[in-house]
Amino acid sequence: MSFLHNYTYYIGAFGLIFIGLYVILTKHNLIKVIIGLGILDTGVNLFLISVGYITEGTAPIFSGPDIDTEHMVDPVPQALVLTAIVIGVAVLALALSLAIRLYQHYGTLNLRKMKGQRW
Amino acid sequence: MVSPVFLIAVPLGLVFAIPLFALFWKAGAKYIPPAALAFNLVVSLLLLPRVLENPVIVSIGGWQPPFGINLVAGPAGALFSAIIAFVGLLVSVYALDYIKEGATEKYHMLYLLLLTGATGVVLTGDIFNLFVFFEILCISSYSLVAYLRDKASIESAVKYLIQGAVGSSLLLIGIGLLYGLFGTLNMADIAQNIRSVSPISVFVPMVLIVAGLGVEAAIFPLNAWLPDAHSSAPSSISAILSGIAIEVGLYAVARVIFTIFGAQSFLPFLAFLGILTLLVGEMCAFSQNNLKRMLAYSSIGQIGLILFALAIATSYGVTGGLFQLISHTLSKALLFLTAGYMIYRAGSMEISALEGMGKKMPLTCLAFTIGAFSLVGLPPFIGFPSKFLVVRAALATKETFFIIFIGLALLGTVIEAAYFFRVVQVLYFKADITNPPSKDAPVTALITMFIFVVLIVIVGIYPKLVTDVLNSAASELLNRFDYIRSVLG
Repeated sequence: MSFLHNYTYYIGAFGLIFIGLYVILTKHNLIKVIIGLGILDTGVNLFLISVGYITEGTAPIFSGPDIDTEHMVDPVPQALVLTAIVIGVAVLALALSLAIRLYQHYGTLNLRKMKGQRW
Repeated sequence: MVSPVFLIAVPLGLVFAIPLFALFWKAGAKYIPPAALAFNLVVSLLLLPRVLENPVIVSIGGWQPPFGINLVAGPAGALFSAIIAFVGLLVSVYALDYIKEGATEKYHMLYLLLLTGATGVVLTGDIFNLFVFFEILCISSYSLVAYLRDKASIESAVKYLIQGAVGSSLLLIGIGLLYGLFGTLNMADIAQNIRSVSPISVFVPMVLIVAGLGVEAAIFPLNAWLPDAHSSAPSSISAILSGIAIEVGLYAVARVIFTIFGAQSFLPFLAFLGILTLLVGEMCAFSQNNLKRMLAYSSIGQIGLILFALAIATSYGVTGGLFQLISHTLSKALLFLTAGYMIYRAGSMEISALEGMGKKMPLTCLAFTIGAFSLVGLPPFIGFPSKFLVVRAALATKETFFIIFIGLALLGTVIEAAYFFRVVQVLYFKADITNPPSKDAPVTALITMFIFVVLIVIVGIYPKLVTDVLNSAASELLNRFDYIRSVLG
């Protein structure tokens, strides 16, 4: 069980990523697909955070000379995640506003019924 | 003293000045994108002779690489930013008259934002920064595809957004894995250490990153969004998406494969994908009745050819690929711009509706014909020397693999010629049934088309104008050790 214990965060992150991909690929309702995108985003963010995570770590702030640097968490992934969250919010907001427009045009959110564009 | 920082900072600042400016002078907001892009063009051209000698490295905030984010303006970066600014400038002049309906200041804002993102992608030296600029480019193109707000454009924007968002997530996972392996985001630093870990652990992030970027670059199995998005967007946006956005995606793929991973063994697979993309694109284009969809599929075909040429990975091959990329940018932008007004006057996107247009809009149709001939690769237009270079590069490898593939590529060119000549025939040699009053495109559009045509002909007759720059851009892309040395010192 030590494998599970050591890699909980990675397992959780990739679990979320695969759930998100599964939802995007199989659901026909646009809102559900957008929820899938949200889950996928969350999984990616969790993955990035866990790359730099240390158990019982501290914030990397050098407030005094005698600070233990061993247990400091890597701040770079956290900065990446902040950026990624903001980008994710923008994409989700745009997707939802497009979903509203799409509903006004088609009267449905079922992606199977939208066949305006074909190869 | 010109610095690559201005290429990003000035347009980005002006983007968010547009809505403020529109509060005071609503009609004047549309002049900001041309001004910003003219500035970018001047700066890139001033930068170009300097970077041909030595790449210009800018450490932002004074943090030396690999700790801070840095910009790398090598020959490839400066060349690409000059092309982006040039095509962007011309298309924004075209859009002055073309974009009349809807929230025009939002259009101009998003348009400039898209080009800022593209410039950022080609100049950055930090892989996460590349992701951020890539997202700027993608998000603004999703919303620009939906600009017309009709059924088709909203549907294609949703399609594009979902595929693009999944692609970006894959890209981000790949970047996260790389960070976990190397503890750095600087591209040169990753490239330096890439051999220090086992090849299989590098392979996974490479596939994820190439797949993520490949969605935007429209490499074959990932390009289902492209024909819809390019055909439902306003024509000026189609020109930018076809001429700039997918090329920037390809540049990013090339940068990642050549510079970061140095993955020689992956290249035959990319060459295979390129030829597959080319054949699928050209065959689908052949069966289209809708002019803009036909142009969109032909973009897929051209992207395939460029990818193939880049994957040859000899100095000739990459030079030919970059040349083909420039020729596609100029010709396809011209084709979409002319098609914009032809469709506008004809009132339909069907090719059959364009019968007799050659007499009604003589100048626009002449420009369309020149663009089509150039794309097919007829002399004396730019498409001829670029395709010639690609063929020569493939033959120079003396490998059966590449020679068979270039044969298939030439077959694709024949298909391409067939469908473009069909359109030209409809324009000039079909009887005109209806006879509405003849009116050509407005002056701003004609000026932009004229500049594109002049450039296509001049470079086509005298390719030496660009080949020197292309050669050094190609050697920058291929020579990863010089890149690492110039960034890390």
